[in-house]
Amino acid sequence: MTTPPWRAAGGTAVQRPSFHPVAVRKSLGKVNNTNSYTAAQPSPPARRTQFPDALKAYVARTFEDCPSENKAEVEVSLKKIITDAFENETVWTIDWATHPLPAAARRKSTTSDKMDISSGDDASPTTNTPTKGDFNTVSKGNKRKLSSRIASDKNEFAVTRPDKKYKKTNASDYSYEGPDAFKKLDKRYKRHQTKNVFSHYNAMQSALDSPAFAPIVGRATNLEKRYLRLTSAPDPDTVRPLPVLEKTLELLKSKWKAENNYSYICDQFKSLRQDLTVQHIKNDFTINVYEIHARIALEKADLGEYNQCQSQLANLYSEKIPGGHPHEFKAYRILYLLHTCNRSNMNDILATLTPAEKEDRAILHALAVRSAVAGGNFHRFFKLYLDAPNMGGYLMDSFIDRERLAALAAICKSYRPDVPFRHITEELGFENDAECEAFIVKHNAGNFIKTKESAKEDGTNKIVLETAKALPTIEAAKSAAFKKVDIKGQI
Amino acid sequence: MESIIRAWRTAHAEENGKLLASTISLTNTDLEEFAYSTNSARVAEDIFRSLEYENNSARPKITNKTGLEAWAEVYVAYWKVAQALERHDDVEWGQVFVNMKDLTQAVIRGFQNGLWEVWQLEILYTACKYLRYVAIRTDEAKRANGEDTWKSLEDAARIINRAFNVCLNDRAELAQSRKWGTYYIINLLFKTYFKLNAITLSKNILKALVANTTEMPDLLDFRTSDVVTFKYYCGVIAFLDEDYVKAEEHLDTAYQLCHKDAQKNKELILTYLIPTKLLTRRQLPSATLLKPYPLLESLFLPLAKCIKSGDLRGYDENLARGEDWFVKKRIFLTLERGRDITLRNLFRKVYLAAGDSKTRIPVDHFKAAVSWKSGVELETEEVECYLANMIYKGYIKGYISREKGMVVLSGSNAFPGTGV
Repeated sequence: MTTPPWRAAGGTAVQRPSFHPVAVRKSLGKVNNTNSYTAAQPSPPARRTQFPDALKAYVARTFEDCPSENKAEVEVSLKKIITDAFENETVWTIDWATHPLPAAARRKSTTSDKMDISSGDDASPTTNTPTKGDFNTVSKGNKRKLSSRIASDKNEFAVTRPDKKYKKTNASDYSYEGPDAFKKLDKRYKRHQTKNVFSHYNAMQSALDSPAFAPIVGRATNLEKRYLRLTSAPDPDTVRPLPVLEKTLELLKSKWKAENNYSYICDQFKSLRQDLTVQHIKNDFTINVYEIHARIALEKADLGEYNQCQSQLANLYSEKIPGGHPHEFKAYRILYLLHTCNRSNMNDILATLTPAEKEDRAILHALAVRSAVAGGNFHRFFKLYLDAPNMGGYLMDSFIDRERLAALAAICKSYRPDVPFRHITEELGFENDAECEAFIVKHNAGNFIKTKESAKEDGTNKIVLETAKALPTIEAAKSAAFKKVDIKGQI
Repeated sequence: MESIIRAWRTAHAEENGKLLASTISLTNTDLEEFAYSTNSARVAEDIFRSLEYENNSARPKITNKTGLEAWAEVYVAYWKVAQALERHDDVEWGQVFVNMKDLTQAVIRGFQNGLWEVWQLEILYTACKYLRYVAIRTDEAKRANGEDTWKSLEDAARIINRAFNVCLNDRAELAQSRKWGTYYIINLLFKTYFKLNAITLSKNILKALVANTTEMPDLLDFRTSDVVTFKYYCGVIAFLDEDYVKAEEHLDTAYQLCHKDAQKNKELILTYLIPTKLLTRRQLPSATLLKPYPLLESLFLPLAKCIKSGDLRGYDENLARGEDWFVKKRIFLTLERGRDITLRNLFRKVYLAAGDSKTRIPVDHFKAAVSWKSGVELETEEVECYLANMIYKGYIKGYISREKGMVVLSGSNAFPGTGV
């Protein structure tokens, strides 16, 4: 490989026009010298991965007149130039506007040589100046203008829509703006080209792949770490690398089994997740961590934490990282959306279900729950509640009371004069009468439970709920329950 | 370059907004010639000179230095767009988009700095329109390379949003106000937000609009095409908010004003108007209405027939058959509520079959009907659950007596709104 052109020092500085406003560099490529310039730059990079706009323009210029047979070669030298600039930290100090282009990017013809070295010379042989003949068109237009002016001046209302003045236009001579304009463009610049041609963006991106931009790798070796929200760049000394994190997970799993201390576990998992994030670790281990944390959070009804894990998992699954249980968590997601009554997200999730997903048992269950809720079919809903796969039951717990109130309201409205207590216990998925009674008492309808003497001869008394009397109380409890859907950490 | 600058000059002489807009259009027939007419080292100078040429002192606003500079900025950016589109074997959309952003921003600045007048608004429309197009292509190209992104379109939305504010917040007198551009830009924003699935952002636009209504010309004074599109989106937004009464109002207006030959647009409106009317008025589309729209006809008509005849199974099947499209259009969850009406119609038939003025009907009769029509043997409890819901929602007037296993229907108007 040849030396990148800008390394051939001195030369560029001489060629640069004296009036150029950018501060003059005395030397190039020396790290110790560049520091002072970096400080002087008006906009030092916020992140290291940013490109100066001038560099982007430079890259664009490189390819502008580059003969296509040279493109590969140009790309290589361009990549070198950019990588060097980043490594020497001169990328923000180089004056890209006057920086010489890679040799191969220049056309052999004399005119383009002139162009590449840029600016300075005033002569512009290629400028198209309008010829005298052109004015004919203008004057022709002027006539039109006069007549339409007169017409518009006569407008009675000042508030007429301004564009009403022009019914006819000759714009179509120049461009086509009809409803198919985009289709024409699609055709002209072929749509669906998947071929990844080399481009200056590729050149820049591949420059980024150099080790200088790799994410940090931690050096900490302690298994446990308290969670602390980061307010500055992570310090590798306090970040645990992947092998340590793997041991951490094992430790946490056994601790959870032994101690069942949720606040400790949650804290530890959060710091574990943070260490994964700052090191850009995205693999099956990451998925495993999020899944375990999500399940623990579910078990402890910590929906906020659960939802954070859930949305991260959705990203990880969509990146096609192998491993994990995407179906199980998709089913949770559906149930969670039922909890939050989020219809538009529900629609989105329905829209993206794949045929394979529609055959998964957990997802089928969640979908059945959804349609039971939508159709007000509480009979099926509570049956599904008792039969939820995985940890779906924990999620359904979060909105089961609400649905019970809705069902009870319908029952109170429709049954007369009363309804057997046992019927409620069964229909609303309670395990026993006592649980059902506690529920009704909790919602202030305990007074309406009555013992009724059986009309039959067997002498047994029946416990019933007086539906008409209970209705207002239950109705109020129901609307209160639907009002406060706590959307914790909702994405 | 010549022809574009010439058109620019003619447009100013004629105050012809459409012609002016065509000078920055991507479908401009001279785009290629323009792209090759200069190079990046001297494009700024070339353009400035050819704009300056033949100074027209009658229009100081464009011929003084600031005026010319503003236009030069626009055409330099436009040249960069043209260059990126025309001078490469394979278009690098990321680059086109960067340049297109510069172009749009240059146009917005022209208006913002008060240099340009209301007849020139067309150029703003064109810039925003193609900005959106290029953004979509850019994201698409990236997605084809495996990167899941909508970044460019999000970026475009932010810029179009600035164009919206530039229009909305103009304080000039109405005849000369950029407010006339508001609805075109809003519609473009709606389109973009819908594509981005960021419908809440559309609501912010509506809020900003409401805050400004007093100085705004009446909606119906705007171009009818803009009104129809605007009403359509308002209707869909209300629809998604489950405010079906409002949705019906907006969509009705859109449908009435829609050009009779704008088949595609009418189809879009009906897509939402039909489910809306199903809920608000329990109204079903007729065969005549659906005739011109084969897609709607194939999906809605069988559904409507099943609802009418209380055919639960057919209803479920037809809903499942159209599910993909319904979900895509976000009407599935609304259409699903049509099942209640199907059920109501079936129960009504049971009532009618029982004979005149019979108000006590065994739950078993309903059970038999539902089991027959849905093709699934149901438990009594489940049928009771259906009945309870019907009564709760007001589809049926009456009550269930669990003890006797009977449904006792109201003596008059047992099925409100159905003449029974």
